[in-house]
Order: sequence, then C-alpha cells, then structure tokens
Amino acid sequence: MTITKLSKLTLTMGVGLTLAACGADSGSTDSSKDAGGFDASQTINVISREDGSGTRGAFTEITGVLVKDGDNETDNTYSAATIQNSTSGVMTTVAGDPTSIGYISLGSLDDSVKAVNIEGIEATAETVQDNSYAIARPFNLAHNGELSEVAQDFWSYIMSAEGQEIVVGEGYVEAVTDAPAYEATDGMSGKISVVGSTSVTPVMEVLVEGYTALNPDVTIDVTSNGSSAGMTAAMDGSADIGMASRELKDEELEVLTAEPIAIDGIAVIVNTENSIEDLTMEQVKQIFTGEVTTWDEIAK
Amino acid sequence: MMASKLTRGFIYLAAAITFGSLFYVVGFILIKGIPYLNLDMFAWKYTTDNVSLMPSLITTLIVVGMTLVIATPIGVFTGFYLVEYAKKGNKVVGIVRIATDTLAAVPSIVYGLFGMLFFVTFLNFQYSVLAGVLTSVIMVLPLIIRSTEEALLAVNDSLREASFALGAGKLRTIFRVILPVSMPGILSGVILASGRVVGETAALLYTLGSSTNLPDSLFSSGRTLALHMYVLSSEGMHVNESYATGVILIVVVLMINGLSTFLSNRLTKGTK
Amino acid sequence: MKTKKLDGFMKGVFFVSALTSVLAIILICIFIFAGGVPFILDYGLSEFLFGQKWSPSNTPASFGILPMIMGSLAVTFGAIIVGVPIGILTSIFMAEFCPVWLHKILKPAVNLMAAIPSIVYGFFALQAIVPIMRQFVGGTGMNMLTAIILLGIMILPTIIGLSESSIRAVPRSYYTGSMALGATHERSVMRVVVPAAKSGIVSSVILGIGRAIGETMAVVLIAGNQPIMPESLTLGVRTLTTNIVLEMAYASGEHREALIATAVVLFVFILIINGTFLIIKKKGAK
Repeated sequence: MTITKLSKLTLTMGVGLTLAACGADSGSTDSSKDAGGFDASQTINVISREDGSGTRGAFTEITGVLVKDGDNETDNTYSAATIQNSTSGVMTTVAGDPTSIGYISLGSLDDSVKAVNIEGIEATAETVQDNSYAIARPFNLAHNGELSEVAQDFWSYIMSAEGQEIVVGEGYVEAVTDAPAYEATDGMSGKISVVGSTSVTPVMEVLVEGYTALNPDVTIDVTSNGSSAGMTAAMDGSADIGMASRELKDEELEVLTAEPIAIDGIAVIVNTENSIEDLTMEQVKQIFTGEVTTWDEIAK
Repeated sequence: MMASKLTRGFIYLAAAITFGSLFYVVGFILIKGIPYLNLDMFAWKYTTDNVSLMPSLITTLIVVGMTLVIATPIGVFTGFYLVEYAKKGNKVVGIVRIATDTLAAVPSIVYGLFGMLFFVTFLNFQYSVLAGVLTSVIMVLPLIIRSTEEALLAVNDSLREASFALGAGKLRTIFRVILPVSMPGILSGVILASGRVVGETAALLYTLGSSTNLPDSLFSSGRTLALHMYVLSSEGMHVNESYATGVILIVVVLMINGLSTFLSNRLTKGTK
Repeated sequence: MKTKKLDGFMKGVFFVSALTSVLAIILICIFIFAGGVPFILDYGLSEFLFGQKWSPSNTPASFGILPMIMGSLAVTFGAIIVGVPIGILTSIFMAEFCPVWLHKILKPAVNLMAAIPSIVYGFFALQAIVPIMRQFVGGTGMNMLTAIILLGIMILPTIIGLSESSIRAVPRSYYTGSMALGATHERSVMRVVVPAAKSGIVSSVILGIGRAIGETMAVVLIAGNQPIMPESLTLGVRTLTTNIVLEMAYASGEHREALIATAVVLFVFILIINGTFLIIKKKGAK
C-alpha cells in the first residue's frame, strides 16, 4: 500500500462524494436544454454589482433602474439579483451560466462573454466616442490642489497624447482629444501615491509603466481599494492622486480638482450560448428590475 | 455485531469524506494552476504583462518576518508570566486568558476594520507595511501565547526544582533550563502563526493596501501573496495567474507546516 | 544583588507583555464600537437589527441588516449540520481507529487543511462546487447550499483537532474497563470514551461555529450575496461578513458607518459565542 495509491483512492472517493452530495439535493429545475441550443423559457439570472460601486451607480442611473422622485432616489435593482463585487466576479458568473445577464466595464470585455447591442448600437470604443452608445461614464482623477512637482508631471503625462494613447490602447475612449505631446523633464524623481477605484486601476497600472519608463527615478504606488476610498485619501492628502469610476459628489468637489482621463462604456453581457443579440434600454431596465424574468418574454 | 459494523462504517466514511475533500481542494488547485506557472511570474518587477508575483512573495516574507519579530517575544514573555510568575488564582491571569481567547475568536474582517480605523486612520500610518504588520501581530498573539503556555506547562516540575536547588535564579532557570526544553512547542506555535499571516486576506486588505511595488519603507504599501490572488481575481483579467498564485500559496503553506512538524519532531528527539 | 534587580526588571517586562493582549482587545472594542454604535443609535437599534431592507444607495437610504443576520445564522447552522458529524466521526477515527503509520500522515493533513488560506478555499468552491450546483440545482450555482458545503469543509479541521485531543485525553482505564466487561471496540469507544470527552467535543463545535460565522473571503465568492431574507437552500444569501467586504471599498459617509455597525453586530455575536465557549470550558475543567 503506497501513499500514491492511497491518495488516488481518496481523490476518486472525494470527487464521487462531492458529486453524490450535490446530486442528492438536486431535482428542482433540471433544464430541458438540448445540446447547443438555447432554451429561452429559462429564468433570467440577473447579476449586479454591489451597492456603492461606481459601475452600478452609473448603470442604474443611465438605464432608469434608479428612480428619482424629487429628493428621493430608489435603486430598484431586482432583489433576487446575484451580487458580485468585482468585474471578474460578474464575468466569471455570466461566462459559466447560460441564462445570466450582467454589466461590466467595456475595457474589461473579452471573448468569454457576449456584449449585447443596446438600441441596435454595438458597444465599442467608437460608439462610446460619438455618444451613440448610451451607457457610458467617465473615469476621473482628482487631487486636492497641492500637487507636488513630480505628481504634476505625471498628471500632465496622463493628459498628454502619449498618455491618452495608452488609454485608447486599453480599450477605453480618450477624454482629451488633440492632447499635447508630453515633454519629459530631466531629473524627475520622487514618489507618487495613487489610490482609488478598482475599475480604473488596470489602465492606471499601464499608465504608470509608460511614465516610469520615461522617468526611471520616480516610484508610483497604485492602491486599488475603491472610488470613495480614493476620494477620501485625496481629500485628506494621504494620497497624491485619487481615482474614481464615477462622477464626483458635490462635497468631494468642494475640496478636489478633478479631471476625466477616459470615458468607459458599460457593456451589458450575456453568455455566449445566449441567442439574444439586441436589447432596448427599456428591456434592460425591465430585466434588472425583475419585471421580466424569462428570456422568451424578451425574445417574443 | 451488526451495529458495530455500521458504526465502523460511518466512522470510515466520515474520515474518507474529510481527507477526500482535502485532496480534492489541493489537487484541483494544483492541476488547474501548475500549467500556468512560468518564469515570467517570478520577474523582479511587476508589470501588467508578466503579472509577476515576486514582489508579493517578498512582501509576504517581509510582513511575516516583521510580525514574528514583534509578536514572538511578546507572546513568549506572556507565556512566561502566566506559567512561571503568576500565582494560582491570580486575577490578572484570568483576565489575560479571557483576552487571549477572545482575540483568537475575532474574525479577520473585524481585525481588518480595526486596523483601518486605528492604525491607518487614527494613528495616521496610511496603508502601509507598518499598519499591516501591527494588525497581524495582534492577530497571531493568541496562537503564540497558547502554544508557549502549553509547552511550559508540559515541562516537568522536577527540572525547575533541580535548577533552583543548584542555586540558579528564576530568570536563569527560565532561560537556561525551561526554554530549551519547551522550544519545540513554542517554535511550532510561531511557525503556525506565520502560516496564519501568509493566508490572511481580509485583515490586510484594509491595512497593508495593495500596491504592486516592493515596499521601500515601513510606510509604503504592498501586497502579500493572498492579497495578490484576491486583487488579481477582482480585476478580472488574470484568472489563470490567480490559480498559479494559489499553487504557490499552497506550496508555501505546505513548507511552513512541514517545517513545523519537522522541527518539533527533531527537537523533541534532541532533548530526550 | 545584580541578578535580583534583573529578575525584578524582567518580571516587569513579562507582566507588561501579558497586558499587551488585554490592551489589544480593549482597543479593538473601543474602535469598532466607537465606529459603529453612534450610527446604530442615530438610525435606531431596532430599525437596524430588524429592518429587512438594505438599500444604501437610495435616498433616503435604508440600512436593515436582518437579512444578513438571518443569512449568517442559516449558513452557520447548515455548516454545523454538514461539518459536525463528519468532523466528530473523523476525530474518533483519528483517535481510536487509525493505525499509527496512517496517523503520521493524516495528522499533518488536518493541519494543512487548517492552514489553507480561505481565499484558496473560495476559489476552489467557485470553480469546482458552483458549476456542479448550477447543473443540479439550476440558477447561477451560487446559493446557500454551496456556502454551507464549503463552510462545512472549512470547519472540519477546527472540530477534528480539538475533538481528537479531548478524546485522547480520556483516561485509558475507561476503555480497558469497558472492554473487560465484554463490549466491542466500537461500543467501548462510542458509549464510554466519546461521552467522557463530551465537553471538549462541544467546545470544538463552538469554535467551529465561530469560524463559520466569521469566514469572509471564501463565502463572498460563492454565496450570491443577495441582501434578501434566506428562504430556500437554492437561493443566494448574504452574511454579515460578506456585507462588509462587498461594499466597504466604495462606501462613504453613512453607508460606511453602517458597514462598521455591521461589524459591531458580528463582533457581539462572536463575543456571545466565545463567552459560551469559556463557560463550557470552565465547567469541563471542574
């Protein structure tokens, strides 16, 4: 009796047991899905981001899921919606579940899921640029008015032609057209800390690489902990630059100077097996508020 | 006879489920992650291309090392006080025990929030190695205290008496006689504490931050391996790399546990 | 003379060290409570604890955490049902049925199980259990049952470790006595040895409850996280811990305070569980 033999045995048993344990609890919706086809009678599984997320804030506001009535605002997101607190969480769930629908930053979109057209317009950098794709929001950078020399230099790099080219290369839309070229100043050195939105972080990391390649003596720390944390850090000066994937709030704007660095579309994504190609804004709203719960109500 | 067989059957089944799940978890991560391990991931500097885990590996070592340097003396000295100095029924002992037991039960997310409110905001350390380390110190203290206490209690009283009879003072007895004998137990507690820090995510997320750079001072931010895995998965572009990071994490944990077992076995033999 | 001075000095050092953990727990209490209690008082204790609606982005916002409290309780209860029998039986196996050579392998295996980071468990469940669930139960596969199975596995090492040592601590004469009376090995173990280790086993279960209720990073990946009252095993659930970690990143102002207040509730739960543990331990020691 060797250990390998034993481990193999236990491994097989483990797999078997897990399957058995799950199997015993099954028996509810055993789908009538035939191979390859998409069964539209299935319930839509709505995947949303968590409350407070910049992406959710922008999405619910634009699609009308968030209802404003005087001073009152009500987020009517379907209460049975699965909540994921990251772009990848939403993508992995949608990629693995034929009947689900979610929304993510356009810059993160890849082949594992399918983006649907909204009002017949495909979600691409071009359609976001010319405003024909309706669901888009800015990525903002903010500082409290006291930028160090080196941070100021980094800031102008981001807003320069070189910086904006990186933004476009990462799949976002540039915020500044006809940006001036970046002129590197010799002998820049020091440390910059950038704190904020998890959605902005990926593009920020690439910007940092581009900048430090030109200014090797500068170190830039990027901390990814959320838009509000970033704004707070920028306000109290514990970070040089804050990142937000949403518009700034009034109380934040009192202290901070903000500038958009990119426009990001929000793609509505479904599983690649799903036959749906087009949705209207109204349908998106109905799905995310739970008014419509099966795919055939949409497909007609 | 039938009942006996049935009992035995259930017991064997339960053991099979337990160790089956363990093998399944470890096997699954290894099989999924090993194919994605490559040399690029061990480059010195993190870029969005190579997704290197080297900076986080080194940060992990720094955080673990500093945590142990601070927590070990405090924990071991607490053990000394509780076992060697405090008199039976001492009020302080009771309070310290309750405090230790409660600390051990505090969930890591609460440690994280506390670290954020106290070290990061109140003491204004920012997201930094210092804030992360101090939070971890509090988190692992109960582990070290408990294992020291157990190790000291296991030391035969005749050793203490013999040492006193030879004219050694209390301090000398503790450091020259009792400490060497109880070393294996204390060490294995310390090593387990390092394992806890390696695997920690929730407590460090809000204290250490998640910078991809190697921290160059106590006040700069960094990320440990577990945090790296968490952040990679949140960004959504590097799922395969997070599997690979999972493999490295499991390997590190395996090494730590192996070292703990090996050391305590060897040292026990050495003293006998 | 000199050594005596040093002796006194070191005794002081040891004493101060011992007070560190007391100081730490006091600081934790102060800062967590100071961060959350003002919000609870402001918002209203019963609205906070028994409110069923959690919608922080609404104006006016509602911060009712009853769904999360019930979620935590339901998931923990489920994990106990799954994990406790398996854990206790495994510890009996380790203590009484396992050959020495096998024990040398299994003991480190249990330690490894305890040491695997929770983020790794979470990833495993997301990639391995969730797809199976999706196939058999339908939906996204992220539901209460998934969380229960995962937590059931995660509390095993806690239960096994403590239960095994308490079973081993039962005097051998109990066992030999029972055997001498003609009972079988199984009967002696189950009817004599295990009952004698009762208080240790109960403590291990309580520690397991603590671990299940406090687990965060693994649960957030697989529970679905809907802030609704748990109604069915096949629907999603949000626990107290996941509520904090889900929304902390983007929360500001009142929302952030509400999340710290959630931690206060979680902390009180832990204090209650731990208090119970201490009482049982004390009784066992008598």
